[in-house]
Amino acid sequence: MKWLKLAIKNLFRNRRRAFVTVLITAVGVSAILIGGGFANFTYLSLKEMAARASGHLIVAHQDYFDKEEESPMEFGLEEYQTLTKTLKADPDVRYAIARIDFDGLISNGEKSTIFMGAGVDAKYEFKIKGPFLDVESGNVLSKREREDDPKIMLGVDLAKSLNAKVNDSLTLMSTTVDGGLNAMDVTVQGIFSTGMPEVDKRSIIVNINTAQSLLVTDKVSSIALHLRETEATFKKYDQLTAQYPELAWETWFDQAFLYKAVKNLYNRIFGLLGFIIVMMVFFSIYNTVNMSVVERTREIGTLRAIGTYTHEITRNFVLEGVVIGVVGATIGITFAALASLGLSLAEFQMPPPPGQTNGYPLFIAIPVNLYLIAAAISLFICTLAAWLSSSKAAKKPIVGALSHV
Amino acid sequence: MNIIETENLSKQYRQGDLSLNALSNINIKIPEHAFAALLGPSGSGKSTLLNIFGLIDQPTQGKLIFCGQDISHATEKELTTIRRHQLGFIFQGFNLVPVMTVFDNVEYPLTLLGLDKKARDEKVNAMLDRVGISRFKNHLPDQISGGQKQRVAIARALITQPKLVIADEPTANLDTQTATGIIELMYQMHQEFGTSFIIATHDERMSSHCHTSYQLHDGVLQ
Repeated sequence: MKWLKLAIKNLFRNRRRAFVTVLITAVGVSAILIGGGFANFTYLSLKEMAARASGHLIVAHQDYFDKEEESPMEFGLEEYQTLTKTLKADPDVRYAIARIDFDGLISNGEKSTIFMGAGVDAKYEFKIKGPFLDVESGNVLSKREREDDPKIMLGVDLAKSLNAKVNDSLTLMSTTVDGGLNAMDVTVQGIFSTGMPEVDKRSIIVNINTAQSLLVTDKVSSIALHLRETEATFKKYDQLTAQYPELAWETWFDQAFLYKAVKNLYNRIFGLLGFIIVMMVFFSIYNTVNMSVVERTREIGTLRAIGTYTHEITRNFVLEGVVIGVVGATIGITFAALASLGLSLAEFQMPPPPGQTNGYPLFIAIPVNLYLIAAAISLFICTLAAWLSSSKAAKKPIVGALSHV
Repeated sequence: MNIIETENLSKQYRQGDLSLNALSNINIKIPEHAFAALLGPSGSGKSTLLNIFGLIDQPTQGKLIFCGQDISHATEKELTTIRRHQLGFIFQGFNLVPVMTVFDNVEYPLTLLGLDKKARDEKVNAMLDRVGISRFKNHLPDQISGGQKQRVAIARALITQPKLVIADEPTANLDTQTATGIIELMYQMHQEFGTSFIIATHDERMSSHCHTSYQLHDGVLQ
């Protein structure tokens, strides 16, 4: 305690310099926390989006993920209702939703264009999508629709291309499972945006029955399992792959290409920024302690002469570094926590990322372990910088130190 | 037993290709409980010899015996341990730690020895009383006069009851009246505690108090 008090007194010798050094440490810690919190929020959002889009687990025919189909639904799942019912009975599974992926042509009578379609179970699909599907006009599909009046939802850019509005009639054309061509008239129920123009230019959503009628099949492409806890994904994957070895299984992570790409990019960007911040704080502390060491060379000589070991001299300077680290980290953590809270309350909007049309709210989600890591980094670099700059000075010949002017 | 003994002790400094003899073949025996003066003009080598006696510098050649122990080849850590337990220093410029109070400055060597708080407090208060500065114990060095600073330095040097106190020009920065007080205090402390003093000085009043004087000239003991 006595040494700690001495360290604090020594820091107060040059208050302005100590204040600036603490401030740099605090800014460094808060920058790491805010940057890390922003990246973490992005990862959580993309993870949630990916899991909601594909399901936490996707089960399909054993060749579905690895081979190309020569005809539509060649690798579809038969008697999927039984499998869906069995999977849904698992207490960890919230929803088991069948889905058909198909493509073809869509026409307004004057113009035709290709589409990428999804046949979905309307009862659950839109509950799951939640805020990640923005309905710009009209409504989502109804779980009960008349067989003679099938409905469709169009991506916003596809609707523009076809000059289609809600309640307009369009025609879908696709190849059936037998290789024939089938067509079906559909009515526009809603127009949606995923925020990605490339997707919105081609996407349609229909009820699964509509897709099956168009393709003339009773199969589905896959079943998406939505679990109660995302964290349970990999455990459940291991369990189900062992239980159903004849089927192919993938996790949301296998299909989350955007999540993986963004995480990889952000990890590099924030990693580099973090490294620069750490170096900046390190050199700042090193410089502060170094100046202090030079100014106190004569004093170091005196203390050495009266019997202080070199490691005790170094310890005193290291304690000064520790004080700077602790105070800087405390201020930095407090500021980052307040900034995180303030941004949440202010609902600050970020501009749309490249390739997307919608902005998103800026939230800083700082995990508890990041607070601990930032504090530990701050303490470590302050200690290291103080130790490096003082250990050499402590070993300087005493006579030379005493005659230092 | 001698507190300090040297055999053919020399100290050379190298400046490029040049070699400068600061001390040449010093043979000296300073008995325990001595109050000895090292005299000589500037550049005569008395500070160098004092530093070697204080174990903060090492001879280039020869033998140095401290309290009967040959320490010519001692490591820096061993020398530090001896300084901590058996040596005290009084510097010309006082060399007090500016952020420590008078009390803390005097307490510091006891802290290094690992004494508990109560024992330290008792010893420091007694010593501050003895050197006559107890009313300044909560003052910082900047808040007291030169003479008072040197009293603090004397208290710090003697607080561990060392065998030897090394004093380098202890009165050089003080006015005549204050210097006289310091000389008398050092002499009283020597008599009271039986501590040996080796004092480098130009001050004739100081040397007149000393039992023995050693005269150096151009690094040679006269």
